[in-house]
Amino acid sequence: MNISSFQTEFNKIMGRDYFTNHVKPIRAQAFNNFLEEGLPNKNWEDWRHTDLKPIKEIDFRLSEISDAPAHELDITEFGLDDIHTIVIYNGHYQESMSSIPNGVRLISLSEYGEQKGWRFNEQKDSPFDLLNTAFMDSGFCLSVDKGVQIESPIRILFISSSENKIMVSPRVYIELEESSSVTFVEQHEGNSKEYLLNSSLIMGIKRNSRMCHIRIQNNSGNTFNIGNIHVHQDKESHYSFYQFAYGSKIGRLNLFTNLNGKGAECFLNGLALTCDHQHLDNHIITNHNAPNCTSSQNFKSLLNDSSSGVFNGRTVVSKGAEKTDSNQSNKNILLSKGSLMNSNPQLEIYADDVKCSHGSTTGALDRDAIFYIQSRGIDMTSAKALLVRGFVSEMIESISNKYIKQYVISKFDSWLNENTI
Amino acid sequence: MLNIQDLHAGVDNKEILKGLNLEIKPGEMHAVMGRNGSGKSTLSNVITGREGFHISKGNIEYKGQSIIEWSPEKRALAGLFMSFQYPVVMPGVNNTYFLKAALNAKLKHHGKQELDAAGFLKLIKEKLTEVDMDTSYLQRAVNEGFSGGEKKRNEILQMLTLEPELAILDETDSGLDIDALKIIADGVNRYRNKERSFLVITHYQRLLKYIEPDIVHVLIDGKFVKSGGKELAIELEEKGYSWLES
Ligand SMILES: Nc1ncnc2c1ncn2[C@@H]1O[C@H](COP(=O)(O)OP(=O)(O)OP(=O)(O)O)[C@@H](O)[C@H]1O
Ligand SMILES: [Mg+2]
Repeated sequence: MNISSFQTEFNKIMGRDYFTNHVKPIRAQAFNNFLEEGLPNKNWEDWRHTDLKPIKEIDFRLSEISDAPAHELDITEFGLDDIHTIVIYNGHYQESMSSIPNGVRLISLSEYGEQKGWRFNEQKDSPFDLLNTAFMDSGFCLSVDKGVQIESPIRILFISSSENKIMVSPRVYIELEESSSVTFVEQHEGNSKEYLLNSSLIMGIKRNSRMCHIRIQNNSGNTFNIGNIHVHQDKESHYSFYQFAYGSKIGRLNLFTNLNGKGAECFLNGLALTCDHQHLDNHIITNHNAPNCTSSQNFKSLLNDSSSGVFNGRTVVSKGAEKTDSNQSNKNILLSKGSLMNSNPQLEIYADDVKCSHGSTTGALDRDAIFYIQSRGIDMTSAKALLVRGFVSEMIESISNKYIKQYVISKFDSWLNENTI
Repeated sequence: MLNIQDLHAGVDNKEILKGLNLEIKPGEMHAVMGRNGSGKSTLSNVITGREGFHISKGNIEYKGQSIIEWSPEKRALAGLFMSFQYPVVMPGVNNTYFLKAALNAKLKHHGKQELDAAGFLKLIKEKLTEVDMDTSYLQRAVNEGFSGGEKKRNEILQMLTLEPELAILDETDSGLDIDALKIIADGVNRYRNKERSFLVITHYQRLLKYIEPDIVHVLIDGKFVKSGGKELAIELEEKGYSWLES
């Protein structure tokens, strides 16, 4: 996708009249800002290890009404069908298939814009946020009122399925009012040909609220999945994030968490499983902007075949964010000689009284452990599987929702079955 | 049971075992003593098939068959077991899960019915009492955070569960307190019978007071330079090894 193809698509979206006119100047501003720098290349510090050339070489077009499903879909193939789901198919909201739990409110992006006075003030950070604003399509906002605890999880299911080369830019806001809680599943599925999915999720977590966010990234092997997530946390709020990524050709997660109120905490976890020529990049930024906040980044990868991965974790402790407690950990197992991992945990500390730690390990499976297991009568393949399961178990076990945990375990098992390790 | 003839083995270009002979008959308890670095663990590793050790000459027969080409798991399934000098820590791998997988692999190999969770729990609880461990160890990751002595008990727990016919105990007594030593020795003694054989590697005559060996071998520079009855262990304790060096 070169700049002129972006321009062509941009002109198309500006011509669409089903958005209110308020959105147009916002799009135009974002697109102009995007044009100033263009798509990242490997000279950009934050993009050194992720080559976007494959994206640049393909001309994607906007998703049209004709890309919506012609008939009712069967979403049971994606599992987790017991939970309330909002279905987005190639960028089109599927109302007939969607349901939300009691207590959650769903409004369109236009309504949201109306309420907020058309301020979409998020996108200082990544060029993909700017692109998302310029092209945002399936937009909506989910909110939970003050004091409301939503017991049943809610899922947004993004299905990317097309014979055509299309690009989709979902924009989702999730707002938890004071002392509320929700478990939210973000799931990416579908068997598309070349496809560019560039989503931006913006979460506002008010005082004393709790969000558990589980992201399952299982796009087709031709999909480019760029996920931009911005989390804003008030006092004593809690955000936990679990990513299970095993899909897409190139996947890039830009996760920005901002601990803005005293005593807020965020626990960010990720497991990436890669094979063939997949490349999964996790770019995780945690900003401690207030005192007494706790954060952790705990990311793991299992890399097979000629796949590669990146962990770029940065924890920034601003001036005045005293009594910060933060931990970063990145552990990777290279299951093949051809796999490659770039790990870069970083700390930037501008406060005095803080407790921060970080660590990173990358290597093959422990030969001594393999022999130990074999010496108890278990064959080599099962021995490796046992170790690999051990490696991921802690993370999977920490998902408190049993139904979702079971689902993730089953997905992990199938991955392990399909891979020769 | 085990017959080792003129074994030369080592790593890369370094020969560690230099013409070692050993015959262990069913029901026998053999002890091996020797200085640090003399090759005792190398012998255990070579018998159990650890990769990286190269056999340049000689043979190892187990129950009449040469096993030097066998995978470690094949040897284990045939009845060989080693209690590791340095048991491996396996983060995230649940102890129960591991032991159950190992036992079921063995049962399956022998065409027997595999145990379900309840059946295994019943069995493992009996074995735990034999080594005086409580059930909390079952929930932990294999050897993770285990003290030195706890790791060794865990090795013996595995031995009692998997019921090998030839068990190699590589310095199982090192790091054990006196009570634990007694517990483990009792466990081993109860496990002894006419069919089961042992190769016990130790630095201390103390262990051999509890577990009486039939034969004691002295390993110096990759060879057995002397073999004798249990009194040899006492003599070694008094005199050290230098009088045996040529
Ligand atoms: N993988 C290896 N690579 C290089 N050298 C090795 C390796 N394994 C063993 N050795 C060397 O072989 C020699 C014998 O080692 P081994 O572990 O068998 O000794 P040991 O008799 O068990 O000693 P200890 O009483 O200290 O346990 C030592 O010099 C050791 O450094
Ligand atoms: Mg040794």
